[in-house]
Amino acid sequence: MSPPGARVVVEPAALAVALASTLHRAGMTVTPMQAGRFADALPLVLPRRRDQLYWTARIALVSEPSQLSLFDAVFAAVFDGMLDPADNRGDTAGPPPAGSEPRRRPVASQRRQVAGEADPSTSRPATAASRDRGAEQAPEQSVVPAVASPDERLRETAFADLEADEIAEMRRLVRRVVLATPRRRVRRTRANLRAGERVDLRRTLRRARRTGGEPVRLIHRRRRQHPRQLVLLCDVSGSMEPYTRVFLSLLQGAVCGGRAEAFVFATRLTRLTHQLALRDPDQALAEAAAKAPDWAGGTRLAESLRRFIDTHGRRGLARGAVVVILSDGWEHGEPHHLAEQMARLRRLAHRIVWVNPRRAAPGYAPVTGGMAAALPYCDAFVSGHTLAALDAVAAAISAGGPREQAQTQREQRAQAQREHAHRRDM
Amino acid sequence: MSSAARAGAENDIVSRVPDVSALTWALDAADYLADPGLAMALFMAVRLPQPLLLEGEAGVGKTEAAKALARVLDTPLLRLQCYEGIDAAEALYEWNYPRQLMAIRLAEATGEHRDEQSLFNRDYLMPRPLLAAIEHPGPRPAVLLIDELDRADDDFEAFTFELLAESAVTIPELGTIHAVHPPIVVLTSNRTRDLHDALKRRCLYHWIEYPSAQHTAEIVRRRVPRSGEPLTLGVAAAVSRLRSLDVEKPPGIAEAIDWVAALTLLGVESLDASSAKATLGSVLKNHDDVVLVRERGMPWLVGAEHG
Repeated sequence: MSPPGARVVVEPAALAVALASTLHRAGMTVTPMQAGRFADALPLVLPRRRDQLYWTARIALVSEPSQLSLFDAVFAAVFDGMLDPADNRGDTAGPPPAGSEPRRRPVASQRRQVAGEADPSTSRPATAASRDRGAEQAPEQSVVPAVASPDERLRETAFADLEADEIAEMRRLVRRVVLATPRRRVRRTRANLRAGERVDLRRTLRRARRTGGEPVRLIHRRRRQHPRQLVLLCDVSGSMEPYTRVFLSLLQGAVCGGRAEAFVFATRLTRLTHQLALRDPDQALAEAAAKAPDWAGGTRLAESLRRFIDTHGRRGLARGAVVVILSDGWEHGEPHHLAEQMARLRRLAHRIVWVNPRRAAPGYAPVTGGMAAALPYCDAFVSGHTLAALDAVAAAISAGGPREQAQTQREQRAQAQREHAHRRDM
Repeated sequence: MSSAARAGAENDIVSRVPDVSALTWALDAADYLADPGLAMALFMAVRLPQPLLLEGEAGVGKTEAAKALARVLDTPLLRLQCYEGIDAAEALYEWNYPRQLMAIRLAEATGEHRDEQSLFNRDYLMPRPLLAAIEHPGPRPAVLLIDELDRADDDFEAFTFELLAESAVTIPELGTIHAVHPPIVVLTSNRTRDLHDALKRRCLYHWIEYPSAQHTAEIVRRRVPRSGEPLTLGVAAAVSRLRSLDVEKPPGIAEAIDWVAALTLLGVESLDASSAKATLGSVLKNHDDVVLVRERGMPWLVGAEHG
C-alpha cells in the first residue's frame, strides 16, 4: 500500500477506460456505459482501500456471476501489482496476466482459415477428431451445390455412415428440422369476441364508445397459450462422436429458430445456448467446440444431469419444460445414480424425450446399465439416427399433454421399475 | 418547480447518505446487516443514481435489502411482484371502469351532462406500483422494488426498463407524466432465466452470497429478539452444514429465522439432536432433503459428532 497520508491522484475517466479495456482484452464484455458509470462512481466513493475500489469496479462493470472469476483475476493482475508489489509473489502468479487469456473469436476464425487452405475433397475418416469439427464444415457454402445425392437417400442414411462431404449437406437439412413443443396456458389473456372466462372491461368500454356509451357487445378475454420451454442436453462423449456432429446442428436450429436452451456434456456440463445463437453457423459451431473442453471424452451422465438440475433445471429452466436428452446412455458410474437424477428431472419436467441412436441397431435392447435405469422415467424413447428418424423426435417433442397414453406409460414404467428393482436385488 | 425540488431532494439524500460507511451504519440501525459489497452497491444505486440488479440464491435477503434502504431514506417502498403474464394494467395503471360506468349512469339519471374529460381524470385512475413510483411527490424519491423480474415475460422486462429509463409515463387520456423525483430502483432476480443483456448492462449489479455463520447468527438475533446467543450460533452453524450437504433447497436466512423462532417458541435454549429432529420441518421443505439429513445424522447436524 502507499504510505499513510500519501495521496495518489488518479483521473477517474482514465482509470475507468484503462480497466475496461483490459477486461475487454481478457474477453469480458464491458460497454462504454458501464465504464462511464465506474468513472462516475469513483469521485462519489473516493476509494481509499483495495476492497472499496474492488467493490466499486465490480458493481459497475460485472453483470453476470459467470464473469466474476475473470474479473477477479484481471483486477488482481492490474491493481495488486500497482498497489502492493509484495502481494504479487506466490499465488497471484496463478491468474495469467491480463490480455494473455485465449481469445475465443480469433481462434474460431483462424480455424476457418485453416479449413479454407485444406483441400476439402480429401476424404476424412468418418470419426475425424472432434477438434476438426469447425474445419470440416467450413467449406459448406461452396460444397452444397456439388452434393448431388438426392434427399431421399440422405434421409435414410444413418448419421454415422455419412461420407465426409455429405455431412455439410446433412447439417444444413438438420438445421431446418422444426422442434415445436406442446403449448401451455399462461396468465396472459387475449381478447375474444365470442367466449372466454372473463369479461374484458377495458376493451368492452372502448368499443362501447362507438355505440353511444352503451356496452352492446361484451368482449371476453381468453387465456393465451405459449409453447413450452425446450431444453436439449446432448452427449458429446467419444462414443457418441459419429452422431454429435449432426446433432449439434439440430441443437443449433432449435436455439436459433425457437427459444431452446442447449447444453452438451461428456465429463462435465457446458451451456452452449449463447454460442449456438450466433448467426453464422460455422462460427457458432467453432465457438461451441472451443467452449466445451471435454469434447469426445468419457461420459459422466448422472453427474452431468445433476449439474444441470442443480444449476439450471431447479431454478426454473426445466420446470414444465420438454427436456430432450441425446445420448447412448453408456454411463461409467453406477446406474442407480442415474436413476436418482432422472427421478429428480421427472418431477420438474413436463416431458422427457430420450434420443438414442443405438436404438436403431439390430438386436438392441435397453436392458443394461444407464439406459435401463433411465428408461422408466422417459416419456418417449426414439432413435433419431437418420433424418427420417428425426421426424419421430419432433413428433415425440410435440406430443400432447401427459394424459395422452398416460395409462399405458404408467404401466410400462411400473413394470420397468419392478424389473429394475429385481435386477438390483440379484 | 421540478429543478428546485430535485436539487433540494438531492441535498437531502447526500446528507443522509454521505458515504458508504454512513450507509452501512444507517442500514445497521434499520436492522439490516449489509456486507461491504452490498453496502457499496446500495450506495452507488442511491448516489449515481442507477438501477441496481440484485441476484443471489433464494433467501439471502435481496428483498429485505430494498426494504431496509427505504427505511433508511424514510421514503415509501413500492413493490412490484412480477409473475408470468404480468402486464401493464397490473404494473402501471388501470382505469376504474366500474366507477366510470356508475358515473355515467348517475349522470344519465340526474340529467347532468358529463363529457369524456370528466370521466378520464385522476379520480378514475388507479395507479399501480410503477406509476406510483414515478408520481411520488417527494420530498425524497421512492424506492421501487421490482421483485423477481425473471418471472415476468421478456417483453414485460423490456417495457419496464424503457419506462424507467425515461422516468415518464404517457397515458393517452391524460398526457405525459414526468417524474419529479425519479425512483431509486432495485431489481431482483432468482436467475430462473437470463435477463436481457441490454438490461443487465444498464444496471449496477451485485451477486449476494450466503452470509457466514457468524453473520447469519447476528441477523437472526435481530429478527427474533427473544432468542439467546447459544441458540442462534448453533442454528447458524447447522444451517451452513446443511448447505454443505447436497440438498435440493439450501436453507437461506429466512429459513434460519423460522427455525430459531420455532425453537424459541418451544423454549429451547441451545440446539441439540432431539430438538433439531423435532423442528427440522421449519428449515427443510423437501422430503428428500429431510431423508438425506436423517441419514447423515442429527448429531452431525448440531455439531456434536465428536463429543
